[in-house]
Amino acid sequence: MTLTRFVSKNAFRNKRRTALTIVSIAFSLLLLTVMMTIWRAFYLTEGSAESAQRLITRNKVSLVFWLPSYYRGKIRAMPGVKQVVNESWFGGQYKDQKPENMFAQFGTDPQEFFDVYKDLSIPPDQLAAWQKDRAGCVVDAELAKKHSWKLGDRLFIKGVIFPFDLELTIRGIFTSNQPTESIYFNSAYIDEGFPQIKGRAGFFGVLADSPENVPKVAKEIDETFKNVERPTKTESEHAFQLGWIAMMGNVKAFILSICLAVVFAILLVSANTMAMSIRERTREVALLKTLGFTRGKVLVLFVGEAVALALAGGLIGALTASALIRAAANAPGLNFFLSGVRVTGLTMLVALLVAATVGLVSAFLPAYHASRQNIVEGLRHIG
Amino acid sequence: MSTATVPRTATQTKVVQARNVSKVFKRDAFEVKALDDVSIEIGAGEFLALMGPSGSGKTTLLNMIAAIDRPTSGELLVLGDNIFRFSDGQSARWRNEHIGYVFQTFNLIPVLTAFENVELPLLLTKLSAQQRRDHVMTALKLVGLEDRVNHLPKQLSGGQEQRVAIARAIVSDPTLLLADEPTGDLDSHSATEVLDILKRLNEDSHKTVVMVTHDPHAASYAHVTRHLEKGMLLPPA
Repeated sequence: MTLTRFVSKNAFRNKRRTALTIVSIAFSLLLLTVMMTIWRAFYLTEGSAESAQRLITRNKVSLVFWLPSYYRGKIRAMPGVKQVVNESWFGGQYKDQKPENMFAQFGTDPQEFFDVYKDLSIPPDQLAAWQKDRAGCVVDAELAKKHSWKLGDRLFIKGVIFPFDLELTIRGIFTSNQPTESIYFNSAYIDEGFPQIKGRAGFFGVLADSPENVPKVAKEIDETFKNVERPTKTESEHAFQLGWIAMMGNVKAFILSICLAVVFAILLVSANTMAMSIRERTREVALLKTLGFTRGKVLVLFVGEAVALALAGGLIGALTASALIRAAANAPGLNFFLSGVRVTGLTMLVALLVAATVGLVSAFLPAYHASRQNIVEGLRHIG
Repeated sequence: MSTATVPRTATQTKVVQARNVSKVFKRDAFEVKALDDVSIEIGAGEFLALMGPSGSGKTTLLNMIAAIDRPTSGELLVLGDNIFRFSDGQSARWRNEHIGYVFQTFNLIPVLTAFENVELPLLLTKLSAQQRRDHVMTALKLVGLEDRVNHLPKQLSGGQEQRVAIARAIVSDPTLLLADEPTGDLDSHSATEVLDILKRLNEDSHKTVVMVTHDPHAASYAHVTRHLEKGMLLPPA
């Protein structure tokens, strides 16, 4: 036997309580890992190199208000701008309102769209076919795979916001590093289908000539359209994506508050378990000290036990979170937000560190008291 | 029970020298004198029984010899060391090296097997796993439990549990074996087995044994019996 084996035997002496403690910690760490993963995906993950060079120009008031299409030409003429493309969200319905049939549809300019979004890949012949067909569309490869779409298939998108429907033919299937859950069609279709809104764009995708010029270009665009009827707000693509998330509410505060609550809850669970466990072993502590265990050794034994339990729970929680996130990233309705999101090794490491710290902090005080316990009083203890 | 003849194995070397040791416990506003000016010397190889009614201070004296309690006044040398000058850590290490302690209630760790319980004090030494194993098996053979190594305490009888506790007390080959009512929780047959082991350890392995007991039969195994009453050590009969 080693001291480590002694610690593990003590940790599992009350199997039911140990199992319940591990499950509690595992569940809490699962939540924490999920939250940290979402935080990382939303706020820490940098996009592709091309994404770092891209900006989005939208209406300053809100994304739901349109911008005049002629802004595109003015933006194109600005120094530091390489390409500009208009995009309008159609918001239609495919088949029904079931989550698995929900995806985004954008009207855009087929001639320049892939020049701005260089991180999306499409075979040249398919691109040419889309550019020739005003009722054609290109679809994300992951989306095509999910719905078993192939080139030439017809898609019927029922208008929900706009009072007309789209009847599109798939002319191209594009791939990207991260699934976009989107299809793109010619914006002329909207202009012709609903002439009242001709000359309007939802927002513009702008490609700067270098990542360094992105802030300068953003400022230039917004300065240009400052004192007009429809002023603009230009931001990096990453900031724009965060704007979508912000529409759900203060997600940062939400995630932070859940994380704090989770850590506090596992701290209480672990502290309660360790306090109970140590109190039950008052006589044993006195025995160990009689046999020659020093205060430091007793402290290490109990803290080690709590850390071992917390780490076991943490590992189970982090692994379960990883599996859940994988499943959610492929689940209908959730994949739009979580596509490509994974629990990284670093996130798992942080989760385990949190678990170990919680174990250490929760056990320290009762273990410290136990280590300083008077041997004679401990031997007299009846418990 | 009167004082018996000190055996030939005992030498004149004093293992314990207590001079005017007193211990006062304070409980709220009350003071209880557990030991009152006790002076005693215990020679190497001696088997001493400490007798007396409950509350007479027997266990308190035993705990002081083991350096797990401190006197209010007086001086106590054990194996030549003034143990009360030790720090907490030094006391612990000293106990591990020199003292074997047997409790009335055995105090075995329930989740450890007999082997692991006996091995426990050796985890604090620098012995290799194989050396630890040899020591443990020797100790278990001495108490006749070499065939119970993998049994948990709950799978052993009271007598067997106490024999495991004795094996744990002697596994590190201590000079001084202290037993606090080792037969108090045992039936007469098991008590005799335990007392025989203590006697053998004293006579064959030359361990100095100090045993606290209420039982005159148990005390008859000792070479010397001293009585405590109200914290005072009575003169030898």
